[in-house]
Amino acid sequence: MRPETTNRKLMWWGVNLVVLLYAFVPVVWIVSLSLKNDATLNDGNYLPVAPTGQSYKAIFSNTDFLRALVNSIGICIISTTIAIVFGTMAAYAIARLDFPGKRAIVAMALLISMFPQIALVTPLFKIETAFGLFATWPGLIIPYIAFALPLAIYTLSAFFREIPWDLEKAAKMDGATPYQAFRRVITPLAMPGVFTTAILVFISCWNDFLFALSLTSTKAARTVPAAMSYFTGATTFQKPTGPIAAAAVVITIPIVIFVLIFQRRIVAGLTSGAVKG
Amino acid sequence: MTTTPAAATAVEDLAGDGTIEIARQRHTDAKKAERKLGLMLVAPAVVLMLAVTAYPILYAVWLSLNKADLRAPDDNKFIFLSNYVTVLSSPIWWTAFGVTMFLTVVGAVFELVLGMLLAIVMHRTIVGRGLVRTSALVPYAIVTVVAAFSWRFAWTADLGWLSPTGSAPLTEFWPSIWIIVLAEVWKTVPFMALLLMAGLALVPEDLLKAASMDGANAWKRFWMVTVPLIKPAILVALLFRTLDAFRVFDNIFILTSGANHTSSVSMVAYSNLIRGLNLGIGSAMSVLIFITTGIIAFLFIKLFGAAAPGSSAEGRR
Amino acid sequence: MVIQRRTGAPRHPSRWAVMIGVAALLTSTAACSGGQHGTVVNLYGGTSGLGFDKIIADCNQQAAGKYTIVGNLLPSDADGQRDQFVRRLAARDSGMDLLGMDVTWTAEFAKAKWIRELTGEQKALATANTLQPPIDTAMWDGKLYGVPRTTNVQLLWYRKSLVPTPPKTFDEMMSMASKLKAAGKPYEIGLTAAQYEGYVVNVNNLITAYGGTLVNKDSSAPTVDSKTVQALTLLHRLATSGLTSSSLSNAQEPEVFADLQAGRSAFSLNWPYVLSAMRTANPSLVKDLGYAPYPSVNGGPPKVTLGGMNYAISKYSTHPAEAFDAAMCLRNQRNALSAALDGGDVPALATVFELPKFKAAYPMADVMLAELRTAVPRPVSPVYQNISTIVSTTLSPPSGINPKASADRLRTGIQDAIEGKGILP
Repeated sequence: MRPETTNRKLMWWGVNLVVLLYAFVPVVWIVSLSLKNDATLNDGNYLPVAPTGQSYKAIFSNTDFLRALVNSIGICIISTTIAIVFGTMAAYAIARLDFPGKRAIVAMALLISMFPQIALVTPLFKIETAFGLFATWPGLIIPYIAFALPLAIYTLSAFFREIPWDLEKAAKMDGATPYQAFRRVITPLAMPGVFTTAILVFISCWNDFLFALSLTSTKAARTVPAAMSYFTGATTFQKPTGPIAAAAVVITIPIVIFVLIFQRRIVAGLTSGAVKG
Repeated sequence: MTTTPAAATAVEDLAGDGTIEIARQRHTDAKKAERKLGLMLVAPAVVLMLAVTAYPILYAVWLSLNKADLRAPDDNKFIFLSNYVTVLSSPIWWTAFGVTMFLTVVGAVFELVLGMLLAIVMHRTIVGRGLVRTSALVPYAIVTVVAAFSWRFAWTADLGWLSPTGSAPLTEFWPSIWIIVLAEVWKTVPFMALLLMAGLALVPEDLLKAASMDGANAWKRFWMVTVPLIKPAILVALLFRTLDAFRVFDNIFILTSGANHTSSVSMVAYSNLIRGLNLGIGSAMSVLIFITTGIIAFLFIKLFGAAAPGSSAEGRR
Repeated sequence: MVIQRRTGAPRHPSRWAVMIGVAALLTSTAACSGGQHGTVVNLYGGTSGLGFDKIIADCNQQAAGKYTIVGNLLPSDADGQRDQFVRRLAARDSGMDLLGMDVTWTAEFAKAKWIRELTGEQKALATANTLQPPIDTAMWDGKLYGVPRTTNVQLLWYRKSLVPTPPKTFDEMMSMASKLKAAGKPYEIGLTAAQYEGYVVNVNNLITAYGGTLVNKDSSAPTVDSKTVQALTLLHRLATSGLTSSSLSNAQEPEVFADLQAGRSAFSLNWPYVLSAMRTANPSLVKDLGYAPYPSVNGGPPKVTLGGMNYAISKYSTHPAEAFDAAMCLRNQRNALSAALDGGDVPALATVFELPKFKAAYPMADVMLAELRTAVPRPVSPVYQNISTIVSTTLSPPSGINPKASADRLRTGIQDAIEGKGILP
C-alpha cells in the first residue's frame, strides 16, 4: 500500500509542476522585466543579469500610483460585495422560485453581457457627467456592479440548481428550524459557488481598463490599470517598460491574496462533509 | 420538473387536509407569496442593470441608424440602414469577422480541453492543493493589458526570450494569429477551470465509487458520470467564454494593433467609434457584434440545451 | 460545531470590506470638497515631463493669485490623449481650460469649434519670436488656434565608428549598410514602421522628399500621384533590402531605439531624444553616436515632418483670458529652456536656440534648426486621424507594398475619408 501512495504523490507533484510552469513562466518574465535596469531592459535574457529595484522605487514614490492602488482595492471590494449580494438573491430566486418575468430577466442579463462595451462608453460618460458621478468612486462602482451581475447571476444560478435541496427538507424533518437548515446545510453547499463567483467578479473589476480610463479624469477614482497608461518615460517617446512591469507585479499581489483567502473557502465548502449528506 | 418548496408544501397540505377547496386556496396563497418573494429578490439586480445599461444600449441602437459624426454634430441625420449596408459591404469588416470567428472557435476548443484538465488537477490533486489552486489562477488574475505586453516583448525579434533569431513572428499573419490564440488561451484557461472545478465539486463521490464498483474505468467514469452532471457548468463556462472571445480586443490591441489584417471586429468597431469618431458606423458595428453574439448564445441554448437558468425544461435531475 | 465555524466565518471579510470601502469613500469626497480659491486653470496634456512641476510652480508664483494652474495627467500615448479630449470636448465639459494639443489635431478641433481662435494682441504675443513651422501647425483655415509650445523633427543617428561620413540620401545609406553587412559589421537601418502614426511620419517624409503631398492645400482632395508611387517604391525597396530589423513592421520608437542601443543598428531615423536617452541607457555608446540631417532622395535639404505640441484654449473654458496668460508663461524663454533641459522638449521659441545652455545640451541644435527651416506639417485636415489610419493600414507591412496598387488604394481610401464615407480598418 505504502509505495503506491508514494508513487501517486510523486505523480501528482509532477502534474502540479506542469501547472506551476504553465502559470509562472510568463509571470516570471514580467517580474524579470521589472527588475531589469535601463541598460539591460532590451537584452532579450529571460532573467535579469543585474537585478535592480529602481522600477519599484519609481512607482512607490509616485503618489498617483499609490492612490490608484487604494482606489482599485476599495472600488473592487465594494463592487464585488454588492454584486455578490444582489446576484445571490437574484440567482436564488431564478433557480428556486416561480415568478413572472423570470425568462425576461435571464434574457436581459444575457443581453447586457453581450453588448459591446465600447459602444456604451460615450453614453455612460454623458449620464455620469449629468449626475455628477464622473470621476468618483460610485461612478465606477455602479457600472462595475451592473456589468458583473449577468455573470454572477448566471454562474450562481447554475450552481444553485445543482444543490440537492432535498437535504434542507431532510434537516427540517430532523428537527432543524428553516433558518438552521439553510445555514447549516445549504450555505456550506452554496459557498463554493458564491466564492468562485466572487473571485470572477473581483478579477473582472480589477482588470477593467475601458471604464477606468473613460469615466475618470483625476486621481480621485482612477484605478491601477488606467493609472499605468498614464506612466511616462523620461521623454515622450520612451515607454516606461520597467515601471509598467513593476506595477503589474505589485497589482498582482492583492489578487493572489484575495484568491488565497477565497480558495480556502472553496476548499472549506467542499470538505465540510455535507456533500455526502 | 422544478419542484419548488412552496409547491411541495402545497401538495403535502393537499394530502393532509383532503379538502380540495382549502388546498387550492392555500396553493394560490403560497404561489402569490412565492411570486412576491421572487420579484423582491431579483428587484435590486434588475433595477441596477437597467439603470446603467438601458439608455446607453438604446442610444447606441438609435445612433446606428443615423449619420453621426462627433466632429460635425450639425450634419447628423436619420439614414435608416445605410450604416449597416456600408459595414456589411466592406471587405475590412468581413476579414475581421473571419479572424474573430477563427480566434473564438480555436480558442474555445483549447480552453475547454485545457480548462477541464486543469480543473481535474485542481480538484483531484492529493498534494499541494492550495498551492496549485492559487497559482493556477494567477494568469487569469494578471491584468490583460500587462500580460499582452509581456507576450509582445517576449516575441519581439532580437529583444524577447521567445523569438527565434532572424524572424519576427508578430509581423506575419499566421504567427500573429497563433500568438494571439496563445495569449488568450493562457489567460482564460483558469477561468474555465475555476467554473468547471466548482461543477466537479458537486459530483457525489458515492456515484463515482458506485460506477467504479460496476467496473467502469476512469475514462468511462468521466464520460458517463462526471460530464453529464457538470454539463450545466460546462455550458455556462463555454457560453460566457465564447461571448467574451468573440469580442476579443485587449490582446490584439497590444500584440499587433490589427497590423497584417489581424483586426478583430471589436478592434474595427473601436477604430471607427473612438478613433474615427464616426458614431453611426461604429454603433452599427457594435449592434452587429451584439447580434452575432446573440446568435451564438441562442445556438448554445437551443442546440446544446444550455444554460438558460429558470427554463423549466432543464431542471434538476 | 466545525460546520458552524466554517459557514460563519465568511461573513467577516465582507463586513470589513464594506467598512473600509465606506471609510475610503468618505475620505475621498472630503478631500474633494476642500477646493482651491481663486481662478483655477486646468491644464491637460504635457504635464508629466520631468521637472514640469517646477514650471507650473514658477508660473503660479508669477501669476500672484490671478490664477492657479493645476496640471492634470493624460494617458501617455497620443491616441489615448486624443480620446480623452474628444470625449470631454464633445460633451461640452467646462473642466478643461488649457489643452496640450498634438500638432495633428489642430484642424479637427478647430473645425468642430472646440477651441478658441487667437486674434489681435493674443495672436501677436503667441507668434512673437516663434519659429514659423511650429506656428503653421497651430493654423487652420488661415486662423491661429494655439500657442506654439514645442516642435520636433527626426534626425539621422549613426555610429561614427562604422560610418565615417553620414549619407546624404537613402540610396547612399542603403549601399553603406549593405557594405557593412557584407563585412559582418552591425548594419541595420532603424526606422518606425509599425502600423501607427510614427509610420505615417516616415511615409510623409519620403513623399515630401520627392516633392509630393498626400492631400491638397485646403484638404478637399487626395494628391496621390507619381511622386507618391516613387516614394512607395523606395520604401518597399528599403523594407525588402534585408538591411532593416526583421521586426520592422512592429517597430515603434522604443524598438528603434533598442536596436541602436543593443548595437545592431548602424543607422537610426529617430527624434532628438535619442541623445539624452542613450546617456542613461548605454553611456558607452554616446561617444560613438553621430547625428546628421534626415536623408533626402537627391542630396538636397530634407523636408521632414513636424512633430510637437501647441497650447489651445477650450471653447468651454470659463476663464479663457487667464488660460492664455498661463500658456504664455508656461512656454516663456526660461520655462521653455527648463523643459528642453529636463524633459527633452524641443522649444518652438526661436530665442531659446541661441542660449548657450541649450546649445550645450543639444549639440545637434544647428542640424535641427536647418531641418526646421524646410520642415513641412502633416496633412492639415479635420479628418487627419482617419487619413493617418488609412495610410498606416494600407501601407502595412512595408514589405507588402505594391507601389502602384497601394497608391491607388491610398487615393480611394483618402477620398472616402475626406467625404466621410467608408469605414476605417
